[in-house]
Formats: sequence, C-alpha cells, structure tokens
Amino acid sequence: MTESTLTGKSMDAGGTGETMIELTGVEKWFGDFQALKGIDLVVGKKETVVVCGPSGSGKSTLIRCINRLEVHNRGRIVVDGTELSDDVRDIQAIRRETGMVFQSFNLFPHLTILENITLAPRQVRRKPKKEAEQTAMDLLTRVKIPDQANKFPGQLSGGQQQRAAIARALAMEPKVMLFDEPTSALDPEMIKEVLDTMEQLADSGMTMVCVTHEMGFARAVADRVVFMADGAIVEVNDPETLFTSPQEQRTQLFLSQILVHPS
Amino acid sequence: MTTTDPATRTSEPAATPPSGGPTGMAWVRENLFPDVWNSLLTLTLGPLLAWGVYALGRFLFVTGRWEIITVNLTTLMVGRFPRDQLFRLWIAIAILAVVIGLALGVANSVARAAAVESGDDYHRPWHEPIRRFGPPVTLLIVMGVFVRTATPLLLLAAALGLAAVAYRLGRMIPIRRRGQVNLVVILGVIGAQLAITGFDGVPRSVWGGLLLTIYFTVGALLFAFPLGVAVALGRRSSLPVVRGTCMVYIEFFRGMPLVVLLFTGWLVLPFFLPPQFPTPDIVTRAMVILVLFTSAYVAEIVRGGLQGLPRGQREAAQALGLSPWKQTRLIILPQALRSVIPALVGQAISLFKDTTLVLAVGLTELLQVARIIPGQEDFRGQGLFAETLIFVSLIYWVGSYWMSRESQRLEAKLGVGER
Amino acid sequence: MSASTETSPSDRAHRPPFWRDVRIIRIALQVGFLVAVGALLFWLFDNLTVNLRVLGIRRDFGFLDQPTGVPILGSDFRAQSPIRDALLVGLYNILRVAVPGILTALVIGTLVGVGRLSTNWLVRRAAGIYVEVLRNVPPLVMLIFFYIAVLQQLPAQADSITAGPFALLNVRGVYLPSIQLSAGPAPVFFGVLGLALVAAIVLGVLRTRRFDATGQPHRRVPLGVLLFLGIATLGWLALGRPLGLQLPVIEGRGVDGGYRMIPEQAAVFIALVLYTSSFIAEIVRGSIQAVAKGQTEASNALGLSGLQRLRFVVLPQALRIATPSAGNEFLNLTKNVSLGVFVAYPELLRIGRQAVGNGFPAPQLLFIVSAGYLALSLGISLFTNLANRRLQLSER
Repeated sequence: MTESTLTGKSMDAGGTGETMIELTGVEKWFGDFQALKGIDLVVGKKETVVVCGPSGSGKSTLIRCINRLEVHNRGRIVVDGTELSDDVRDIQAIRRETGMVFQSFNLFPHLTILENITLAPRQVRRKPKKEAEQTAMDLLTRVKIPDQANKFPGQLSGGQQQRAAIARALAMEPKVMLFDEPTSALDPEMIKEVLDTMEQLADSGMTMVCVTHEMGFARAVADRVVFMADGAIVEVNDPETLFTSPQEQRTQLFLSQILVHPS
Repeated sequence: MTTTDPATRTSEPAATPPSGGPTGMAWVRENLFPDVWNSLLTLTLGPLLAWGVYALGRFLFVTGRWEIITVNLTTLMVGRFPRDQLFRLWIAIAILAVVIGLALGVANSVARAAAVESGDDYHRPWHEPIRRFGPPVTLLIVMGVFVRTATPLLLLAAALGLAAVAYRLGRMIPIRRRGQVNLVVILGVIGAQLAITGFDGVPRSVWGGLLLTIYFTVGALLFAFPLGVAVALGRRSSLPVVRGTCMVYIEFFRGMPLVVLLFTGWLVLPFFLPPQFPTPDIVTRAMVILVLFTSAYVAEIVRGGLQGLPRGQREAAQALGLSPWKQTRLIILPQALRSVIPALVGQAISLFKDTTLVLAVGLTELLQVARIIPGQEDFRGQGLFAETLIFVSLIYWVGSYWMSRESQRLEAKLGVGER
Repeated sequence: MSASTETSPSDRAHRPPFWRDVRIIRIALQVGFLVAVGALLFWLFDNLTVNLRVLGIRRDFGFLDQPTGVPILGSDFRAQSPIRDALLVGLYNILRVAVPGILTALVIGTLVGVGRLSTNWLVRRAAGIYVEVLRNVPPLVMLIFFYIAVLQQLPAQADSITAGPFALLNVRGVYLPSIQLSAGPAPVFFGVLGLALVAAIVLGVLRTRRFDATGQPHRRVPLGVLLFLGIATLGWLALGRPLGLQLPVIEGRGVDGGYRMIPEQAAVFIALVLYTSSFIAEIVRGSIQAVAKGQTEASNALGLSGLQRLRFVVLPQALRIATPSAGNEFLNLTKNVSLGVFVAYPELLRIGRQAVGNGFPAPQLLFIVSAGYLALSLGISLFTNLANRRLQLSER
C-alpha cells in the first residue's frame, strides 16, 4: 500500500460521511520519546473505528489526546467543529461532548453507582435531580444492571463496574464515545457482557473510537480498523479486508501473533 | 500501556522534541503571576519571606555572638568527657568509620546487583552527590568555622578517608558473604564502645553532648529492633493469649508520652527491683526506657509489614513443607522487613529527636549542654540562648533531614510505594 | 492465621500422642506463656511492696486528700487544696493546650499542605521550607527556644509589645481579647443567634430543593452565611450591643481584662502547633496525591471543572485516606503536652513531679500521671477509629 492510499483511507469519513473528529499531523512527545508521529485520521458521524496495535504503539495516547487527557504537542484536533486549544472553554466543551471509558473503570469509589452516573449531569449539565436519576435508571436498564443502582462500585463485579462506567459516560449524552481498552482488565466471562453493551451502542448510531484487542468485536461492529505501530498509523481498512488480506508486513506479523492464541 | 501512560502533563510548547519549559519572563508569569489570586499571594508572601530571610541573615552574620559556640564546641560534642581521654573517642570514630564504610559498600553492591537483575540502567545524574551530601557537608563546614585548631578537622578527614577505603573494600566483597559483614558491623559497634569505656576508660556517666545523643539513638535502636520484631510476631501469633499480651504491650507504650516513661524509669524503676539488687545507673535506666518505648513502635511498623504480605507467601512456604519457624524466618520476615525499611528509618529519626527528652533525668545530652553554657561565667546574663539553641537545632535538623531524604531515596529504589 | 496450626477433623481412635497433638501443644504453649508473664509481673509487684515497706513509704492513695502545699502557676489554685484537685488542674491544663492546639495545627497544616501543591512557585517553596524545617527539629528544642530565647526575652510590662489595642505581649504572658457578655440582653441575643442559624439552615434546604428541581446552582453556603450574619448583626444592634470584646489594658502593675496565656503555656502551644502542623501538612499533601490518577482523569473526561473535581471526587477520598494518620498526629500533640514539664507548665506530669519533690510517694503519683495520659491517648485513638470506621463504611 502506498502512502497516498493510506492517507486516503484514514482521511475518509465513514458513517454518514460527515466529519465528527478530525486529527491532522498530531504529534505527542514524552520528554525525548515521541509517542505519536504525525497522526492523520478522520472519524465520521455514527461511525465505529477500532484502533489496534502492539502495546506501546501509541493507540491509548491517541484517544487520550482527543479529550485532552494528554496534551498533543503539534497538529490539530477538531471535535464536532471545536478545535482543541489551550482555551479552557474549548477543552470543557469537547469534554462535555465526548464520553470516555477506561481500562480500569475509574468509578468514584466513595459514591454509589447512581451518584456516579448523576454527578456530572447535575453539576455540569445542570439537570434537575429527578430527571438525572430517571436518565440514569434508563441507562442502567440499558446496560442491564438496574438493580445495582444503590450499591458502591466495590460491591460490583468487574463487568458490572465497566457497564456502570459506560452508563456514566452516556449520561452526559455525548456525541462521541472513546473506549480505552475497556475489556483488558476483565475476566473472560465478563468480557462478553461489556462487548454486547458496546455493540448495542454502536447499533444505536453512536460515534465510537475503541482501542481494543477484541478482534471478534472489531469484525462484527467496526466500520474501519486502524492498525498502529511505533506511534504511526500503519494501515487503515474495513475489518474484513484488514483481517483477511493485510497489506503491510507489520500488520501481518501482529495479526499472526494474536490469532495463534485466540482468546 | 507502559509507555503510553505517563503522568498527565501541563502544557508544553510544540518543538521537536518540545523544550523543557518556559524561561525568563514567561516562567515568572506562569509560576508567580498566572492570575489575580496568585499575584496577590506572591505579593503578600514575597515581602514577608524576604523580611524573614533578612532578619535571619542579619542574626546569623551580624548580630549573633557566636564566640560562645567557638569556646564550647568540644563541650557541645562530648559534654564533661575528660579532655585528656579524647583520643579514645577518635579511636572509636575510626572503628565506626571503617565498619560503616564497609556496610555501605556492601549495600551498594547489593543494590547494583538488584538493578542489573531487574534490567534498570543504574546511572546517576552528575549532581546527585551534591544533592545527597549537601546537608552533612554544610554541617561540617559550619563546624569547621567554629573549630579553633586544625587537629579535629584533620582527624575527621582521616576518618572519612578510612570510611572511603572501607567502602571500596566493601564493594569488592562477594554478596553471599554479606551475613559475615553484618557480624563485623556489630562487633565494630561493640568495639567502639569498649575503646571508650574499656581499659580504664571513661564511664558513660560523664558522657555528654552529641556523643550521648548518638549513643542513645544507636544503642536504643540496636536493642529495640529485635525486641520489636519479636513483639510483632507475637502480635500476629495464632495463640490468643500471646497475641493479647503483645497487643497490651504495644498499646501501653505507644499510648504513653516518653517523658512520663522516663520519669517513671528514673523515680520508680528502682522500686521494682529487689532491695539487695544494685540500682542501675541513670544512663542504663534511660536506655531501658528508650528501648521499651521504641520497640513498641518498631513492633507496630513490622506488624504492618507482616500484614501487607500476600497470603500466598505463607501458603507457598507451607506447601514446601517448611516448619512454621522456618516459614517465618526464611520467607515471611525478610520480605516484611524489606517493605518497612523506610518506616523504620522514620522511627530512627523520631528516636534521634526524642533523645532530647533524656535531659528529664538529668543527663547532659546535646540540648542540655546548649541550655547550660549560656550560664557559664564568661557569658552569664548575656542571654546567648538563641545562639546555642540555633546551633544545636542545625545539628538535629541536618541529622534528621538527611536521614529522611536518604529514606525517601531508598523507598523509591525499593519501589515500596508501588505495591 | 496459618493453616498448619488449625485442628484437623480426626476421629478419637486416631488421636496422636499428646505431645504431638496440635490442640494440646497450643494450650500448653499459652499456659506456659501466661505463667511466665504472670510470674514476671508478680515478681515486680512483690519487689515494689517489699521496697516500699523497707523504706517506710505508704502504699495507699490516701495522700490524695492532703494539701498540695504549693500554688499552681497561672491559676487561682490555693496551696491548701488537696493534691487530688491539683492533679485535676493538671489534666485540665493538658486539654487547655491540646484542644486549641489540635484545631490550630489542623488549620495551618491544611493550608501549608495544600500550599505545597500550589501552582505558585513561591507558595510551593515557602510551604516546602516550612515543612522541612519544622518537622526535622525536635519539638523540645523548639519549646525551649520559644520559652527562653523568645518569650523570656520579651520586654517588661510597661514596654509591652502591642498589636493595636487588641493584644499585648510581654515577659509575663500573651494577652488576647476575651468575649464579654452583658448580663441582661445576652441570653436574648443567643436566642437571636439560634434563630439566625435556623433561618440559614432553612434557606439552605430551600436552595438545595430548588437545585434538585431545576439544576440551577444553589450557592447555599455563601447565601446561608450571609443571612446568618445579617440577622445576627441586626439583632446585635437592636439589643444594644450585648456582646463585646474585652481588650487587655495595662492597669498599674497588672493587666486588666482580656485572656492571659502565661509564657509557659504560650511556649508549649506555639512549639507543638508548629511541629504538629508540619506533619499534618505532609499528611494533607500525601492524601491528596494518593487519590488515584484515574479518578482525576475520569472527572476530566466527564467535564467536571477543577473545583468540582476537588469538591466531589478528590477531597472526599483524600479525607478518608488522611483520617488515621491525622488522628495519630492529634494523639502525638496531646502526648507532647507533657514536654511542658521542661518549662514548668503545670500540666499533669509537672504537678505530679512537683508533688513527688514535696515528699509524696512517687509510685502512686506516676501511676496516676500515666493513667491520665494513657486515658487521653486511648480516648483519642478510640475517637479516631470510630471516625475512620464511619468513613470507611461509606464505601462498602
């Protein structure tokens, strides 16, 4: 695959064809180490993009830059028409519109599940309490744990916690959902329940960027799969093509490594 | 995840690679006057601090009458220790310099080996020794200012030289022999005391000043450590009676103020011994109290370490068929103790500061000397307390600050906080 | 704790010989230990009674009713009053330093601890120096420094250092304003204060309800405080200023009015507050930093502002982490009041020590002093444990 077709594939908005997230020439340095080497990527509205690659390839850094948990050093990041800058107002605007789900859940341990979910809608979106709680219960029903609402995170299983975390992110009614290895910290039997929730979410038309190693999920749900290595995008394609006939050697090597031991 | 998950950074300007941070006026704006609130803080705090520095500097370099320190430097160091016997002290210092150098050398080679095993590259920034040894070197310089003849400085330099040679030597000792080195260190400490008290030497009752302070710190630690470990093991015993007794012991000594215990040891301890029994001298009584007191804290620290160990360690040892005592000695204790080293150093610092309290029972340790000398004939009525107290504060501060910095270094190296 | 010592279900026929039976070994070990400890304690106590008899010292606590023989510094205690009362004054004097000391150290420590995390370079450095200097100097050195080198060097009364009309500072003590009540309208004024408090709480509840219903910011704390202060001021003016500050004034050879802190008390207070606050500052800083980084990231990802993150996510968790160590520092401060004995501050130990010097029996007196301090210590740790349990419970 040549340079130009790669750029074409990664800059082609999927989904409805309208642009939701646009990254151009994004670079990120940790001291002398360059974690992102000029990333160009466009994510379209209602599109699901899966980012995969070996550990240390910069995929987590990439999506953490989108809502500014990491500050990119160069390049442009535009989310729903707002460009990320040093302006606090822009940062908060983008964070309000993007939900994020973490590998280690990061639920607030001192608050109940319901309080976890209603905190941001009430404090940030200024929603009335009743309405916020109603939304929260609806979301908990959607992720199939309505009876856990008044428990504390420590009392839930990992899978339940992660689904609560998804509900918490959805409660802000975001336009984009970012998933940072949401199933990596889970026991095998719990992975499926989280993936089902995510699949259901993608079907409902949410724009999603997922860092994950779950190839089954990528095949079933993703519109495009982005393969990264060493801080750069190596290959972008629809899942079927990328998994069955990868063009790049790095991709082939990576796929052979993870497909030998299907998990 | 390892490389993609560092701490969240504050904004850095874009460059290839981005430079370290803002310089000059940009730095001042960002760090001192970023907003109204911080500018106000800077403007109130700045002049206050400047005034404080000025007042302190003026006292230190202009108005302070430091000749009282010059005249009494030896007294501050050793109290009423006979001046014609000081050579014994230098012998002791030489012995200690050798064993401490040796021990540090071995510890260093162990650390290096560990670093090689775990694949860390063990390189140090050039300024690390300056940061590490800044406090004690400052103290030595201050002492040098007050010394009247060059002899003590030369002797001290010789001792440091000995320590350096021993350090080199220690690094060459193979690691598997470090058990023997521990023995040599203990023998050295005993030998150092014998060099002073033995062979028609100087009894502890006339020791004073910094010498007594260090003696109490080191002595109490040496005895309190094994006692504390024993009590901690008892506290974790499966036998309810043993567990309960050790708990009462720990809670009692931790609940009591040390001064009250010292007064008790001084005034009441003799009552608890048989009438025909000779009453132990004051230094021994104070030492006994310090040991009992410190051991309770050591026990509590070690108990924390024992509790923090994963259950699997004990179970694995049992599965190997080790006897309960061997499980504890070979598997449990080494790990538990390693994880509480920083806390134990903290306890040592605490003890170092607490030795000031032995003046309650009439011993002239460092602080008491500082309290007494402004009443000497030459200085009486001149109120030179600030000078002497600030000088001893510096000694305490350097000792305790240095130990705490070293323990932080150790903590980072052991990675204790990460478990 | 260890599985090897647990009893195994074995039927009677297969019981091992008793010297290999785990259950019997356990009992024997405990009985042996108990006998050894008991024998040691008995030996010590027996020596005590023998010694006291030989030396002709009384062995009961009857002396507590005898007159103390000396007055107590900084109080109107009379020398004829019994020792029992003197010891109670000593206990009270511990609390008189410990309680305000704990509160002050907590406030200063929190400010300094937060200051160490400030973005302002100067504040961060100043807070760092504060902590590193104060916690590495023995509290006794500080105490003696403040007593001898500062408070004892203050000018005589006639040349007192003044802070406006509010405070006086001289070699005889520190004088601060005290609160003065006028007998008539004062109780009415307290009624007004109560009313103001109720009004503020009602306002707070109403604002909270409005917030729940509409999501509009409630600002209940500033509004409530404003309402309280408003009503209180109006009531104060209407009742003819029933509550006033009484300022210390030099009157001839003494000082009239105000609250006097004798130099001994002031020295203990200052030294312990400085020392303890440096430790509390470290606890505050450590606890805030100990809140997992993921918590901050999650708050940011949800769009919470910096203040909201602190208020709803970081501080509640930091408080939980800090409670046990902070309680420990409160305990240390209380125990350290006993250092007052070195500057003759009449706390419990000093009173007991003085009585021993006046010929009263040392074992009993030191027993009482120990019991007093031990009771305070255990009381504080009990309180801390309860607070800790409450906070921890809210998680699970």
